[in-house]
Amino acid sequence: MIRRLDRLQVVLAAMLASLGVMTVFSARADWQRQVVWVIAGAAIYVAATTFDYRRLRTVAPALYGGMMLMLVGVHLVGHTALGARRWLAVSGFPLEPSELSKLVLVVVLGAYLARTDRIGWRAFAGALGLAAAPACLVVTQPDLGTTLVLAAVTFGMLFLGGARPVQLGSVLTAAVVMVPSLPNLLRGYQQRRLEVFLNPSLDPLGAGYNLIQARIAVGSGGMFGRGWLHGMQGQLGFIPERATDFVFATFAEEFGLLGSLVLLTLFGTLLIRVLRSAGVASDRFGELLAGGVFAMILVQLLENVGMNIGLLPIAGIPLPLISYGGSATITTLAGLGIVQSVTVRRRRVVHEEPLPINGQESLLGTITRRAQA
Amino acid sequence: MSELPLQLGGVAPQPRWSLRLTAAATLAVLVIGLLAVKLAQLQVTDGSRLAAMAQANTIRHLVLEADRGIIYDRHGAPLVENSPVWSLVVVPAGLTPAARDRAEELVLLARLTGVAEEKLAAQLLNADPFAPATVKANLSQADELAINERLPELPGASIAQRSIRRYGEPMVFGHVLGYVGPIDPSQVKSLRAAGYQADEMVGKVGVEAGLEELLRGTDGWADVEVDARGQVKRVLETQAAVPGHAVYLSLDAALQRSTAASLAAGLARDHKTAGASVVIDPRTGEVLAMISLPAYDTNLFTRGISQADFSRLLNDPDKPLLNRAIAGQYAPGSTFKMVTATAGLQEGKITAETLLACPPYINVNGWIYHNWASYSLGRMNVARALATSCDTFFYQVASMVGDVTLARYARAYGFGTAKAIEMPGVTAGLVPDRIWKQLQCGVPDLNSDECRWSEGDTITFGIGQSYLLTTPLNQAVYVATLANGGHLLRPTLVHEVRDASGRVVQTQKAEVTSDVPASAGNIQSVREGMRQEINPPYHMNYWFRASGVPADGGGKTGTAQWGGSGLDLPTHAWFVFFAPYAQPEIALSVFVERGELSEVQAAPIGVDITKFYRDNLSSIRRQ
Repeated sequence: MIRRLDRLQVVLAAMLASLGVMTVFSARADWQRQVVWVIAGAAIYVAATTFDYRRLRTVAPALYGGMMLMLVGVHLVGHTALGARRWLAVSGFPLEPSELSKLVLVVVLGAYLARTDRIGWRAFAGALGLAAAPACLVVTQPDLGTTLVLAAVTFGMLFLGGARPVQLGSVLTAAVVMVPSLPNLLRGYQQRRLEVFLNPSLDPLGAGYNLIQARIAVGSGGMFGRGWLHGMQGQLGFIPERATDFVFATFAEEFGLLGSLVLLTLFGTLLIRVLRSAGVASDRFGELLAGGVFAMILVQLLENVGMNIGLLPIAGIPLPLISYGGSATITTLAGLGIVQSVTVRRRRVVHEEPLPINGQESLLGTITRRAQA
Repeated sequence: MSELPLQLGGVAPQPRWSLRLTAAATLAVLVIGLLAVKLAQLQVTDGSRLAAMAQANTIRHLVLEADRGIIYDRHGAPLVENSPVWSLVVVPAGLTPAARDRAEELVLLARLTGVAEEKLAAQLLNADPFAPATVKANLSQADELAINERLPELPGASIAQRSIRRYGEPMVFGHVLGYVGPIDPSQVKSLRAAGYQADEMVGKVGVEAGLEELLRGTDGWADVEVDARGQVKRVLETQAAVPGHAVYLSLDAALQRSTAASLAAGLARDHKTAGASVVIDPRTGEVLAMISLPAYDTNLFTRGISQADFSRLLNDPDKPLLNRAIAGQYAPGSTFKMVTATAGLQEGKITAETLLACPPYINVNGWIYHNWASYSLGRMNVARALATSCDTFFYQVASMVGDVTLARYARAYGFGTAKAIEMPGVTAGLVPDRIWKQLQCGVPDLNSDECRWSEGDTITFGIGQSYLLTTPLNQAVYVATLANGGHLLRPTLVHEVRDASGRVVQTQKAEVTSDVPASAGNIQSVREGMRQEINPPYHMNYWFRASGVPADGGGKTGTAQWGGSGLDLPTHAWFVFFAPYAQPEIALSVFVERGELSEVQAAPIGVDITKFYRDNLSSIRRQ
């Protein structure tokens, strides 16, 4: 199994997580705690790699149910921070179910879409329904960022799962139609963020402050950066949320354009490796899982870096593996572990069929694509 | 859905890059490319600009205000102190970031300072977010304590301390010390060029203004690194402030107080409201006391005076803001007669022994000029003429000397010259002559009666009227010149200057501006007349006897008409005096505005001052 491991993916994930710990250290967050989470994430990564991803299909309904329970729980007994209810205390640790929901949705949609080879209108509607339920609970926390990630994951998996252009188009059209009515749907602070994004000087001390300070930080990094632990904006607290949402600004100030390009290249390579895993998957479920993880990481990378450099409006989304935070780190590493599991159990060229690792597969009556072909 | 081809052969499978996977990969590459391009723009194209903004965020140039020098009397008694005042300062960027909490903070700030919340919000939102903005200056001690207690709940707010001048006895020392105040808008530009801060205090009048350079000191500065809350994290470079010099004035605080009290009492006795007195050391020119009444509370100005207070002072008919000692210009009247006497003697028109008549009036070209007495006082020499203050005697002398020569002697005694004393606003007075009159008259025909200098002008000039003007300071310098035998001294208010470490950087030395062009004998003859005036059988001696002060010195009273020409004009009362006679230590002038009788109203004040000086002589001489 070790031989079949995507070793490059392991190296990339390890490098990114290390850069994350370094940046979190520089941002004066609790770096030791972040190390603990990376180690915990690594353990889950190993476990997920060893675990036959195909068994996830069995537990998918249970995962889905659990996720919904937690999301409802957040609404009922969750902790409020920064104006949103996002946290659940699980045996003393703050847990952010909305972070976990990203990966759970990947597994659930993967399992659901893998049931059929093609995506008919019923399956299409079903998938949207499956995604809509948690999205509604998340958006009302309110957590626009995670909702965006859920939407992107859903769209990505539909696309990679082979949804018809007309189906994808209708989703996009619906989204475009909804944008004008967006201001009404958004909460006050979200509207404000959007306005301020369009004109940061509207409120240089409030919502615009974050945007301006992050941009200044990134820009002042210049070509080579100010050096680790020497970012003025970051060290002196001018960057808001410098270890979480605006961790990229902290990183970019200290490591400059050069460091940022290295970081982007690491992410790019990781994303391609994840897609490659989809390409070698032995079944449709595996392919969809990898595709979902790909979409999950890509959209977070785009939105997080994008808002840090003033390209996109501010939405509270962590930068995978870099931002401080247990739920996000563990979710990302678990997702990559699942992808690794898919890679390990890839198609074997010596065998026509992938060896069933246990009997669960046939017992469930699911049909692999190639078996059908 | 595209059919994925089955891969056969080989140990490792080649990934099937389906169309959609390829599209996804392309999308990832595009997204990363887009981020990279925007990053390059921010970090390279805009990099230096944004780095400068980061620098501006974090590096703050602070001005460390120098303590203003303390002003002492000649014995080292402080006349002013720097007392701390507090103001509430807010760095807008340091306020609580969350909108709702920030609103709460603003409410608390508004409540603590009493500034309207909307005003507060507007001020802070329009200010440079990273520069400290003064929300409320001059907090009361109670406010300061209340705010200090709540500071932990007020991120971004801090209490700044600066010092303000507090004048101990403004009604006694106010006119000399003057005051500091905020820089006038009209001065801002020139003072900024001289390194002043816009909110700095600057000397406005009095020695605070005249000695600004010495008192101000040199501001220091510090470049500090601050965090987003405005807290100083690191001092990068600093230059300590150098406090201003300590100035020891020539004033004797005790004599100043006593002079103020004597003058106030004298004025009150005769229901007068305004007057002035200057006491000078005739050996050095040092001003020992300088009083102008009414006085006002200079402390009103140090925080920026209210419009109401300012209007009240400005519209007061007694003009408290006017320092009469240096800026009030009045005719000297009979106190001028020593000049006429000196001129007559030195020009050889009379000798000390020459006897002239003292008729009740003289007739000049059909115009009648009266003596103060309606009867003849008989023939007399110059000393007796001074002692009796015979006007008709000096009409004759003035006529003999002529206006041009008389003007020359007047100038030699310091009339008509602004004294270079250490405060602004000193006026020169006026020594008229025929050319001045022609330039003054404002009629095109310079030979008209209005413009031509008449014989009448000359003879009234001889008794200190005509167009002659002087100031109480000028009078004191004049009598000091008579006291010391004809040396015109530059008057000064500064005894000594020390730097912050106590090292003496400047000591006052007597500075003779010029000598009166008269022989010692002639000046002695004039002094003799002044000695006689205060001795029996003349009335003036009464005040010395009444006060128990030996009449050892020389004095002259003067009741000067003002406000035009004619017989029943209002008058000002003067008394000039020096003592002791042989080796004078003080020379003084007393001025009573609208005084009718100088012997009764001005002279007793001078005697009072002299009495205090004599009784406390040792305290002055010790220095």
